[in-house]
Order: sequence, then C-alpha cells, then structure tokens
Amino acid sequence: MKQQQQQAENAEGAAGKKKKKVTAAQLRVQRDLQELTLGSTMKMTFPNPDDILTFTLTIEPDEGMYKGGAFHFSFVVNQNFPHDPPKVKCTQKIYHPNIDLEGNVCLNILREDWKPVLNLNAVIVGMQFLFLEPNASDPLNKEAADDLRLNREAFKRNVRTSMGGGSVRGVAYERVMR
Amino acid sequence: MASPDAPLRWKHLYKVLTKAGPFSDEDWVPGQETITSLESSKLLVIGAGGLGCEILKNLALSGFKDIHVIDMDTIDISNLNRQFLFRQADIGKPKAEVAAAFVERRVKGVKITPYVGKIQDKDEDYYMQFKIIVCGLDSIEARRWINSTLIGMVDFEDPESLKPLIDGGTEGFKGQARVILPTLSSCIECQLDMHAPRPAVPLCTIATIPRQPQHCIEWAHQIAWQEQRKDDTFDSDDMDHIGWIYSAALERAKQFNIPGITFQMTQGVVKNIIPAIASTNAVIAAATTSEALKIATSCNPYLENYMMYAGEEGVYTYTFEAEKKPDCPVCGNLARNLTVDSNMTLEAFIETLGERPEAQLKKPSMRTEEKTLYQRFPPQLEEQTRHNLKLKLKELIADGQEIAVSDPAYTIDFRFRLAFQ
Amino acid sequence: MTEAFPSALVGPSSKERKYDRQLRLWAASGQQSLEDSRVLLVNSDGPWSKQNTGVSGVVGVETLKNLVLPGIGGFTIVDPAVVTEPDLGVNFFLEEESLGKSRAEETCRLLRELNPDVEGSFQTKPITELLRDPEFLPQHKLVLISGPVKRSTLETLRKAAKSLGIPVLYTRSVGFYSIFSLQLAAVFPIVETHPDPESTQDLRLLNPWPELAAAGASISNLDSLDGHQHGHVPYILLLLHHLEQWKETHDGNVPSNYKEKTEFREMVRSSARTSNPEGGEENYDEAVAAVLKSLNPFSLRSSIREIFEMEECTRLTPDSPDFWVIAAAVREFYQRHNVLPLPGSLPDMKAQSADYVSLQNIYKSKARKDVEEVTELVRSIEAQLGSRVAQVSDKDVEIFCKNAAHIKVIHGRGIPQVNGDAHSLKALRNHLSNPESLIPIFLAFEILDDIVTDIQDGKRPEEVLDDEAVWEAGIDRIIGVLTSDEPSAVDEAARERIRKAARELRRTQGGELHNISALSGGLVAQEALKVITRQYGPLDNTCIFDGVRSGSEMYKL
Repeated sequence: MKQQQQQAENAEGAAGKKKKKVTAAQLRVQRDLQELTLGSTMKMTFPNPDDILTFTLTIEPDEGMYKGGAFHFSFVVNQNFPHDPPKVKCTQKIYHPNIDLEGNVCLNILREDWKPVLNLNAVIVGMQFLFLEPNASDPLNKEAADDLRLNREAFKRNVRTSMGGGSVRGVAYERVMR
Repeated sequence: MASPDAPLRWKHLYKVLTKAGPFSDEDWVPGQETITSLESSKLLVIGAGGLGCEILKNLALSGFKDIHVIDMDTIDISNLNRQFLFRQADIGKPKAEVAAAFVERRVKGVKITPYVGKIQDKDEDYYMQFKIIVCGLDSIEARRWINSTLIGMVDFEDPESLKPLIDGGTEGFKGQARVILPTLSSCIECQLDMHAPRPAVPLCTIATIPRQPQHCIEWAHQIAWQEQRKDDTFDSDDMDHIGWIYSAALERAKQFNIPGITFQMTQGVVKNIIPAIASTNAVIAAATTSEALKIATSCNPYLENYMMYAGEEGVYTYTFEAEKKPDCPVCGNLARNLTVDSNMTLEAFIETLGERPEAQLKKPSMRTEEKTLYQRFPPQLEEQTRHNLKLKLKELIADGQEIAVSDPAYTIDFRFRLAFQ
Repeated sequence: MTEAFPSALVGPSSKERKYDRQLRLWAASGQQSLEDSRVLLVNSDGPWSKQNTGVSGVVGVETLKNLVLPGIGGFTIVDPAVVTEPDLGVNFFLEEESLGKSRAEETCRLLRELNPDVEGSFQTKPITELLRDPEFLPQHKLVLISGPVKRSTLETLRKAAKSLGIPVLYTRSVGFYSIFSLQLAAVFPIVETHPDPESTQDLRLLNPWPELAAAGASISNLDSLDGHQHGHVPYILLLLHHLEQWKETHDGNVPSNYKEKTEFREMVRSSARTSNPEGGEENYDEAVAAVLKSLNPFSLRSSIREIFEMEECTRLTPDSPDFWVIAAAVREFYQRHNVLPLPGSLPDMKAQSADYVSLQNIYKSKARKDVEEVTELVRSIEAQLGSRVAQVSDKDVEIFCKNAAHIKVIHGRGIPQVNGDAHSLKALRNHLSNPESLIPIFLAFEILDDIVTDIQDGKRPEEVLDDEAVWEAGIDRIIGVLTSDEPSAVDEAARERIRKAARELRRTQGGELHNISALSGGLVAQEALKVITRQYGPLDNTCIFDGVRSGSEMYKL
C-alpha cells in the first residue's frame, strides 16, 4: 500500500517537473546576468550552469592596494529575489577593513539599502569599489581599519603580506595572488 | 451529502442564496442551483495558522463542503493565543491535520483534507482541481510562488483554469485582504512594493559600533555564532540556541554599556517575530472568506480588489482597486503557445524567434525551470551553454514545457509554451 | 544598572511563551488589565416568536473567543435561548449534541475549552431579571450586547452600566451588514496611546537644557577632528553646534521660518566633508534630513491644552482618579517650564557607541529629573487633597510623563438612536447626503430594532421582518424624524439608498451570516481590548461594516 502511494507520488513528481514554470527570481537573474558589464577584472563561474542562482564572482583588481589578487565571492540568490538581496560571502580569509574573517561583506546595498530596483550589476560594481577604496570608517575588520586609518603605508604592507599568505597581527591569511 | 435538516440548519445562508438583493448582479439566478454550486465547489486553504484556522471555520460555516488545507508547520505554544483549533496537548503535531480534524468534527457534513508539506510540493494538476484558493500566509515568498503558479495555469480557452486567489495578511492590529483574478487583475507581484522590506542595520554598525540592544543581538546572531559555533546549525526554535544568543548579546551590551536587552527582544530580533492577535486574524480571515462566498455564489459583488485594515485608532478600512502593472514580471507578459518542430536545433529555434513579427528577439537568453538553455552573458555561462545550440529541442525540452526568454532590446521578458508538432 | 543587565539568564515562563505575540503589543501591564477583567455578554433577550429564537448571537460568541484566547480574566454569558437547528449553521461554538440544550451553557462550555486560564459562567435568566441583583453587573468591566434587542431592555442595561461607569458595546449583525457602538464613560482617559514613534520625537534642539547645550559646545573643535571622528559625531550635536554658529550671525536667534531653515540646512550641508571615498558623511546626511522635521520650538498640542483646561484637571477632589492628579501635576510642570516632561527617547543615529550612549544618557537623565519634579508635584497635590484611598504610584507618573504629549481623553457618548435631538439629526442628514456614506445601513438597523421591539412586545407577527409595507412605513417614520426640524432635507436619492440598505438587510430576515459576524466579532474584540487595557485608541463611537462593498466607516453619532 505504502509502496504504491510512493510510486504514485513519484509519477506525480515527474509530471510536475514538466509543468514547472521558470520562477520570477530565475527570470530576473537571467535578465540581470545578461545586462552585466563585467570588464576584464571580473569573472563569474557557475558550478552548475543550469542553476543561475548560485555562482562565484572573482575580482582581480588591476589597480589599487589589492592589485594582483584574485578574490572569490559566493553569491546565493533566493527565490524571493529581488525582494530579498543576494547573499554574498568571501570564500577566502582576507585582510580587508570591510570584510571580516568569516567572509561577511559590509556593503550597504547588500543589506540596509537594498531595493528591488537594484540589480546584480549594482552589487558587482559595489564589490569592485571595495577593493579600490577600502573604507576605514565603518569596518567589519576593526584591526585592518585602524591600520588603514592610522598608517596607510603599514596597511599597504599588511595587504601585501596577507595576500601572499602571510600573517598580520597574529592572524594567518590565505594566499590570494593570481 | 447534506443532512436532512439542511434547509433548517442553513436557513440564514440559504436566504441570501435563494433571494436576490438590491446589489446582486441582475443576471444572477438565485435558488437551488446556487446552493448546489456552492456545495460542490472545492476550495483550497493555504496555511493553517492564525488566519488559516479562522478561514477553515468560516468556510465550513459558509456552506462549503469540500475543503483542502496545506501547511508544513507543527503547533507551537506561541500559537495558542490565537490559533483556536489547537490546544496545549496538540503542541508538536502538524497544524493542517489537527485543524482539519477539529473543524470536521465540529461542523457536520464538511470534508477537510489536510496536506502536511510545502505548496511547492504540488503541481498544476493539483491546483487545477480547486475553484478558489484562499491564502493565510506570513511569507512573501510563498505568496509570490502561488501567484505565479496560478497565473501560469490560465488557459484562455478554458474559463475553469482561472482560479481566483484571495489573500489575507496581518501584522499586529493591521491587515489586508485582496482578491486576485489571475491575469485579469492586479497580482501579488504587481503589488510587491506594498510589502515593506524588513528594516536592516548596516553590518559594520553591528560589528564595530553597536548603539542599540538590537545591534548586540544581531551581532550575537550573525557574527558571534558563526565564529564560535560554526559546526552547529542555528535553530531559532531551539531555546538553548536562543539562550546562547541572549547571553552573548548581553555580554556584548555590557561591554558597550547598552542597556535594555531582554530574552523576549532577543527572540523577536532573531526570529523576526511579528505581533499577532486573535481579533485581527478574525477580521482579515472573515474578510477573505466573505469574498470566497460571494465569488462562489454571486450572491453579492466581490471585492475589487484590496481592503486594508488598521485597528490601533478606532476601526479604519480603506477599500481600493490596486492597479495591474503592464510591466509586471509575472502577469505582464503571459506565456504564448508556440508550435515547433522537436527536431529543430536550439540555434535554429532562436533564429525563428528573431523573425517573429510581434517581438523580434535578436539576442535572447532563455531557460526552462530546470535548465539554462542558452545564456549570452556573462561569457563563462555562454561557454557553458553554447553546446546546447546544436542540440535538438526534444533533447532539451519536454513537449508542452514553458521557456522564459530575455532580450536586451525589451524591458520585459517573454514566456513561450512549446508544443511539438 | 542591575535591572538592565540581569545576572541570571531567565527564559520566559510558559505563560509568557503562550502570550508572546500579543505581549509585544500591549506588554505585561496590558495583559494584567486583561486578566483582571470579567466581561458580560448579553447574547439574546429571549425569543422573537414561537418559531424564531431571535438573535443567534454569533458576533457575541466570536467576540468572546477573541477575548478568551488572549486570556481575559473571565466571562459571563447571559442567554435564555435554547439551541436550535439554525444555530448550528452559524455558530461554531455549538455542536450536534447541543441541540435543545441551553445556548448559554453550551457556548460557555465550548469557549472555556479555548483557554484553561479563563473562568467562564452562564445565566439562562433574562438580563432584566438578573439586573435586579445589585451585585450582578458590578462584577464586570465591560458589557457586550448582541442586538437587535427590545428598546426597553437596551435602555435599562445601558443606563445601569452607565451609572457604574462600565463601558458597553452594542452590536448587530444581519446578513451582509453589521454595526456596533461603544458607550464609554463621559470622560475616558488613555495614557498609552502608542503613537507612531516618528511623531513622538522630542529632541529640544532649539531650547536645549544646560547638559545638552554643553554636549553641543563640546564639539567646537569640529574642524580639527580626523575624518573618522568627524564622520561619527552624532547629528544631534552637529545641529546644536551649527545652531550656535547661526545664532552668532543672526542676533542670537534660531532659524524660525521655512526660508531660514532651508538656509540653515544648506549651511549644515556645506559643512560635510566630501573629499573622502564615500563622497560625503552619513551623520551630516542625517542632520540635513532632520532640519525641517526637528527644528521646531516646543508647542503644546491643542488636544493636550484642552485636557489641561477640563474641569477634571483644574478642580481636583479627594476622589479624583489618579490620571487627573498626574495631569494636574504635569499641567503645573508645563506652567513652570513651558514644556512637557521630556520623554527621553533618542532615535538611533550614526555615532560611535560610547558617544551615542552618553548622549542617550543626557536625554535619559533629563527625563528622569522631569519625572522626579512631576512626582513631587503629585505628592504635594495629594497632600493638599487630603485623604485618598491610595497614593499615586511612581510607575504611573513615569508612564504618564513619557506619554504626556500624546495622552487622550475620549468624551463618551451613548448608544446612538434616531430621536429628536437636533444636533444628531443634522449630523445624520449630512452623512445621508453623501452617496458613499454607510449611514443608510445604520438607519435600516434602527428600523429593524423598532420592528423587533414590536415583535417581542407581541404587537406584530414575526413575518413582518420581510414585509415590504412595514419596512416602507419604517423608512417613512425615520425620514419623518430626520426632517422634523427641516422638511425636504432628505431627497429621493437618499431615500432610495435607505431603501436599498433595508432590502439587503431584509434578505436574511434578521439572520446572521457567519463571515460577517466573525469579522464583526474581530472588530468588536479589538475595541474591547483597547478599552480594557486602556491602550491605543478606542472607537468613538459607531462603526458600520458593509460586507457587500467590503469596507467600513466610523461615525460619531
């Protein structure tokens, strides 16, 4: 009896698959991806090309203090997009005032200033900006921010050290050089 | 099906069904036929919580005999102040089952079929069996899903495929009820900006300059837990987890001299708790079921299409017609049927889209629900999907399946239902 | 400080967990008021005829459901009716086994199942009989009446409740229409009105007290601050600082009109540093946004002035309720300082933690000082008044001071009727001339009440509930009253609107539809909660719900 029911449910599942509609979130991401302006410093990878709601963004700054690095961010867009913002995390342990050691990113449009009219391009531009102009005034990594504010040269040295896989203030960072 | 005393038991209800009123439609024929049609209408209730319990009771006492209810949740102690079909002894049991059994027991002759699970578990064939769908949900995501599903089901050849969606929602002393006729009137997606996004505090404030007790709680929840309890999945229903967050937040608050953290506040912030009371649910649920009765029987005109309610200051309602958005991503451009040769390659198919007179899609990207067929940008994804161009449609798509197409030349997207020749 | 930082982590009790979602609205104090209250439901006044048991009382029972669930102390159901078959088609709190039994007893039993914390009892005697016992009515804090009831019963009950100061809710639900009125005491004060937090901000930037002014003066070195510090000065201090600058060039005056305020706003805006990566400063953005909103001299709202001028406030007696003793003290405070006590709350703003906390403490300690001063005034008033039952509690003074700018006094009205009163006739005629008004529904209900009274008095048979001629006569009579002092004031279109409302009402011959009664039970319970907790803003005084057009209106009748 139970098995029969199981089979019936499976059949129902297969039929359902055929009829499933492209969701509003998928459609919006399809459009957003198409409208991206990536430039040479950014790359996207899709572990599963059929799932466009999950991908990785790699930023390779060609100027600024983080020049020469390759920084990976995981993007997860949920079905409530664009009502909810995408969830973005840095997958490496890096030394940056606006990114903490767990990979959380402090970018206003990813949280308090997110609006459904914003698109993925706006997010990506904002992320890129973080590497050109790290912001010391409202940090996630307080030590890095203090360094940047109080001694810009030392901060630069720390960035290079950390990017090479060295330790800064007793914290070992991941090597992120290209 | 009906008890022998039906005319006596349903005396008051039958009066409005067998006698026209001054506002009922002139073409409406009251009488036994209306009663029969009411009693044979199958309804679906989504959600068996604060609104759902009331909705089930109201529908049963509105003469509906065949009601289905979906809810994936189990009963929690904090439900008991309003979800009146549940008792202390029911805590932990599935809401849909307990609610259905209670109303069936109380109102003789009504059949209520519960389903414990997600609305996404069910497909179009399932939703097609209902005449009306009444929603009492607290999630925007679920509302958007059922909305787009019902809109996708509309077949203009078949009036039965149009399922009125009646949606209710509450927050404290406030609430709203709305009637949506998929594809014909303003839909949930058209009205999305009426749901205010949850106010958020900058992550950096939480991380470095907390000022409010809520900032300390957010810190404990979003930062401290990750750092210190990486291996435990946080469960907001686990009292020990909330307790940990509470004490971590207190510790941080002490450090910054911020007073005012309570356990209740911690729970509220972490679970994003919205205040809820029985009376508001009663108002909104009955507003939705009154519309269900009117739509099912035509005994009076139904709501077109939005009623908002606020009860903090006297009784305030505002009834208005929300507008359909022409560029709504869900109801703005409905799926068109397209007959295609299943042996055609995707590349050839894309070419035919470029030649369509009404919309010349020159640079389309497209997908089905489960497959990215072709995505022009970014380059990495283009590479990954390029090989699909050489494949035959039948290798990529099932007969009757829907594809969604975006093209930079158009601000809205297109949907096509592909039927194989 | 021990209160702010509990040492032991005590989780919520099971009662707090059960009521969690409502405690977030009315807090423990509201819950306590609820638990201290017993509600009387008069759910019918005897049968209309041999075949008709009269009002099914669904609004009443649904209202009680919505009060039992949140934990009202107790309830009494008065209902002489016996459960009949039609009751089971509209009333969820009856079951098959209830047929033929006392409706009061059965609904009481099934309502009690909803919440073991609530005490419930029932009476099968008619209310007029129960009222002969002088102990009966005073046990209750609120009376709910399910109408239509005989005019004489309504009058008796209404008057008895009024003389005891017990609020009354009179409800009627028939077919797609419902209506209810709230009778409150002649003077019904509310302290916790829960205004929108935005509207309660009282920052005193134009008339800072010395400690706040000193905080403003402490950033005179603004220009020498580094970028980080500069971008984190709380906007309150920025405004105070720039106001001082403004005063220097404006004969010591603050910006007082729109033009000056926009000039001042530009001055603030131009002081922001923009040569940073963000191209601006958030704290300055906040300051700029606050100029028009927050730079207003304190002015006493007219509604508060009216309260201060009420006789209850100016002529205290030893029996004056605590509210008026505190109000008189706050009035004296206002006369001394030209401001109300400071509420003491500070909005969140861009700032370093320590700077924000110390600014917050400046506001809090000023608020505390004001409370102390008001408390002293209260004590001296109490001393002058002589023997009072109990001292006004410190907590009540504190809550009053926090809400002083938003307290409210409702002047209770009776249950409305269409009688000869010229003032109300004029109001009714005015509403009636508006084609969108729901007043025709009220008038139709009034006609129904008259018809039901006649049926209950045995003057007419039950069949007249749907008798065209009787209703037409009713409409004529009511229009006659409406136009008694101004003939031709009701035109044919208005008469037609009453006629239509009456026809819709006649459709169920006095019977209830569950949806409309359930909805009304929600609205009525909402009002009951506000009256019992004395929080938020109760209805003043009549609400009509139109289930045909799906909307409601409020009227002062």
